[in-house]
Amino acid sequence: MTDVTAQSRPAARPGGTRSDLLRQIWISRADYLYVLPAIVVMLVVIAYPIYYTVDLSFYKTPPGLQLKDKSFVWFDNYTTILTSGVFWRVTLNTVIWTIASTLIAFVLGYALALALHREFAGRGIMRAIFIVPWVISAVAASYIWKWIYHSDFGIIGVVMVQLGIVDRPPNFIDSVNTVLPSLIVVNIWREFPFAMIMMMAGLQTVPEQLLRAAQVDGASAWQRFWHVTFPHLRGVSTVTVLLLAVANFNSFIIPWIMTGGGPSNASHIWITHIYELAFGRQRWGVASAYSVLLFIILMTLGYFYVRALSQGERRERGA
Amino acid sequence: MSAPTVVHAPRRRRIDGWRWASRFFLVFMLIYTAVPMAWMMVTSIKSGFAAMAFPPEWWPSEPTLASYRNLLDPQNSVGRDFLRFFWNSLYVSTLTTILAVLVAVPAAYAFSRFRFPGRQFLFFSVLLRNMFPAVIFLVPLFILMRFLGLVNTHGSLVLTYLTFGLPLAIWLLKGFYDNIPIQLEQAARIDGATRFQAFVLIVMPLSVPGIIATAIYSFIGAWNEYIYAYTFLSKNEQLTLPVGVQRFFSENTTDFPGLMAASFMMSVPVVVLFLILQKYFVRALTEGAVKH
Amino acid sequence: MAHVILKDLVKSYGSVYAVRDVSLTVNDGEFVALVGPSGCGKTTTLNLVAGLIPITSGDIMIGDRIVNDLDPKDRDIAMVFQNYALYPNKTVYKNLAFPLQMRRMTTHDMDQKVRDAARMLDITHLLERLPRELSGGQQQRVALGRALVRDPAVFLMDEPLSNLDAKLRVQMRSEIKRFHQDFDATIIYVTHDQLEAVTMADKMAVMNGGYLQQYDTPAQVFANPVNLFVASFVGSPAMSLIPLEAATNGGTTMLSSAEGWTIALSDQNARKVQRAKSKKVVLGARHSAIRLHKTQVEGAVPAKVYTVEPTGDVTFVQVFLSGAVVNISLPPTFEVEPDEQVWLEFDQNRMHLFDGETELALND
Repeated sequence: MTDVTAQSRPAARPGGTRSDLLRQIWISRADYLYVLPAIVVMLVVIAYPIYYTVDLSFYKTPPGLQLKDKSFVWFDNYTTILTSGVFWRVTLNTVIWTIASTLIAFVLGYALALALHREFAGRGIMRAIFIVPWVISAVAASYIWKWIYHSDFGIIGVVMVQLGIVDRPPNFIDSVNTVLPSLIVVNIWREFPFAMIMMMAGLQTVPEQLLRAAQVDGASAWQRFWHVTFPHLRGVSTVTVLLLAVANFNSFIIPWIMTGGGPSNASHIWITHIYELAFGRQRWGVASAYSVLLFIILMTLGYFYVRALSQGERRERGA
Repeated sequence: MSAPTVVHAPRRRRIDGWRWASRFFLVFMLIYTAVPMAWMMVTSIKSGFAAMAFPPEWWPSEPTLASYRNLLDPQNSVGRDFLRFFWNSLYVSTLTTILAVLVAVPAAYAFSRFRFPGRQFLFFSVLLRNMFPAVIFLVPLFILMRFLGLVNTHGSLVLTYLTFGLPLAIWLLKGFYDNIPIQLEQAARIDGATRFQAFVLIVMPLSVPGIIATAIYSFIGAWNEYIYAYTFLSKNEQLTLPVGVQRFFSENTTDFPGLMAASFMMSVPVVVLFLILQKYFVRALTEGAVKH
Repeated sequence: MAHVILKDLVKSYGSVYAVRDVSLTVNDGEFVALVGPSGCGKTTTLNLVAGLIPITSGDIMIGDRIVNDLDPKDRDIAMVFQNYALYPNKTVYKNLAFPLQMRRMTTHDMDQKVRDAARMLDITHLLERLPRELSGGQQQRVALGRALVRDPAVFLMDEPLSNLDAKLRVQMRSEIKRFHQDFDATIIYVTHDQLEAVTMADKMAVMNGGYLQQYDTPAQVFANPVNLFVASFVGSPAMSLIPLEAATNGGTTMLSSAEGWTIALSDQNARKVQRAKSKKVVLGARHSAIRLHKTQVEGAVPAKVYTVEPTGDVTFVQVFLSGAVVNISLPPTFEVEPDEQVWLEFDQNRMHLFDGETELALND
């Protein structure tokens, strides 16, 4: 019993050296097997394309994907973009589209989550109905709304005529002035349910006791929301808004199917514009340069996204 | 005892005010949400002629299922195509879902339980994928798929769908695993299980709701995807529903009942699936994404 | 059953040490309690013995095997967790059978063993239920049953009673003690509650800051705490500790307070005080080793009553003395009021003295 020392291993003292990190990696080598499939898929389908896009943005490319004929042109593609009038038009559209869709969808979703938080008859059915627009495909949604906005037979226009608001049905998506707001209405229709689900999930985590305490302290419904619920859900709200913003910034299907970016670029946003440059006009180099710019913007947004998420992660580990 | 009543009266009126506002808001949102869907269904049971009537009929005088019969009849060419697209969508979505679960489960588990160097970095780089739009990846992926010989195959779709479904799937599942007490696995390991056995026999069955949520998410994402399918596939017999329907109706621009019927058919599987399983999804969000 | 030996056990996370150079021997059939405040390293020590976390250095022997690198499943141990860790999706029967299944026992033998264990713990009627359908005490018994069914060399228990309500805790305390006696089990039991350790264990290992402070029978630890930490941790109410200064006056050694009073020490206590590194000495006394007088008497020091807590059998009085709070127990018939002026007399034979610098007990 006393000869344990003879077999005892030399004490491994911890330190911050590099060989220590390698040792750590070696010790946890089996752990990496679990994440390996995910990482491999991600590398093939993400890292390679990113590299490729950056590379291509410095080349002038002939139409068709005959890429062996491309020639290196430094930053020509970037200057082409930044000096074109379309770029600024499209950028303005994108900003309006992203901010309006995100904020309105978030506020509607948040309000619905609050309205549905209390138990009442028919709540379950309502919730189910509200979720549907988010679940169905954006392609189907685009066709439904295209039919609703139809300049001759669309019901909104017809109802407006019958109510005497206008003489003849407005051209919702065929007019430069109304096309962007009309598409934003469709986009919000698709996205407010996501905000609602996220905020409903968040509301379940608000401690009942806090609300009771506030009520006892004489806080009105609004004050309870503002002083208890709202601050408690700040983390979820941030994540939801960021996810919505990213999704809106990256929208494609609704404008593409409903208007194709028209009329006269009034509903083009960055993504549809890039798509048209690449696959419509086959200007791969310019499209890639656009993608890189987009990428830089997204990385900035991504920084905040990761920060919001990692705060959650830290809080969770602290608990 | 008169003081409390005096205080009580205005307070009650204020609460009622909120309740009315909330009712009004709910009605407004119901109209906004449901009317387009209702109109889709009403239009889909009209004849092509009736759909173009002015003023429109709120309920068709002669409702007809002709559009649905047309889409589902394997004898005519429209039905053949539509059923083919439907089958393709089902195949691609199911395969994506199975693979996504197989890949996401071990990854989420590792991110939740193990503390290996680089864990944080890998976790966030996986999440960052969510940030980037399909378009950025389209050209290079198209070239990559050509290189891999996957253009015009469903494999190209499955592979890409996997990547955009994985980040949220891993995130959701990780939250789920974070909430399963680690003592359960410790108990299992002491009871004689290996680490892997503890995972498969104890943790996996407990994470079934999370796995279901992940599966729904992947399935719906794949079912509704448009842009990759639009770019990677050109042969008619391989198209998935969103692209197939779009192609078909860009040639028949005035057949609105047909288009609405197709939109309806395209939505039914995912809506039914989601409504049946939504409790898992909301639970996964609450436990995984929200409750930190 | 088997003995367990820990030798120079160390666990560190980077530069943070959770367990430092812990060495102790648990004899065959002994019930040892690891006790200390939260974060003291007791649970980490238990997890090291279980093999749930890898050790940084040192050795662990279970029976005559060094188990440093063995998987938990190969260490022949059973463990009861604070939250019971019952598999929520398995019935009680399947929970009990799981360890046997993992050992590929035949169905017949398994059934026999599960039913035996269930009978011993009086949970036969619960076998088909799910854990969530059980009360806390029943879950606790199932957890014990799952440990018992295996017939392991050592039982490890991690705060198994802390999730129970006070009444049930007392009941389960005696059941676990009975369990130990009936099966001659070797048990290592982690708790933050010194009362559990004192009432149940053959020996208690008091830990703090990752170090093992004292390892002895509860009676010894109670009577001769080796340092200020152990003195303050073991016993309820806690030992009163009064920081004073040593002084000599005409050959008599005494302790003097900043308030001006002094206590003359007996010869034995004077010898102890002379071993202190400096003049700083901490006087320790348990509640029963202090007499309270309502009038001034020879050798008693003045103090003021803070609170009076009658508990029925005994009345506990807290008194302010030289900046410290002193606990005294009195018969319930003794009448005393808060803010009353009183005089305290310390029993020289039951007095504890500690070095104010090193915090170690001063011995003869």
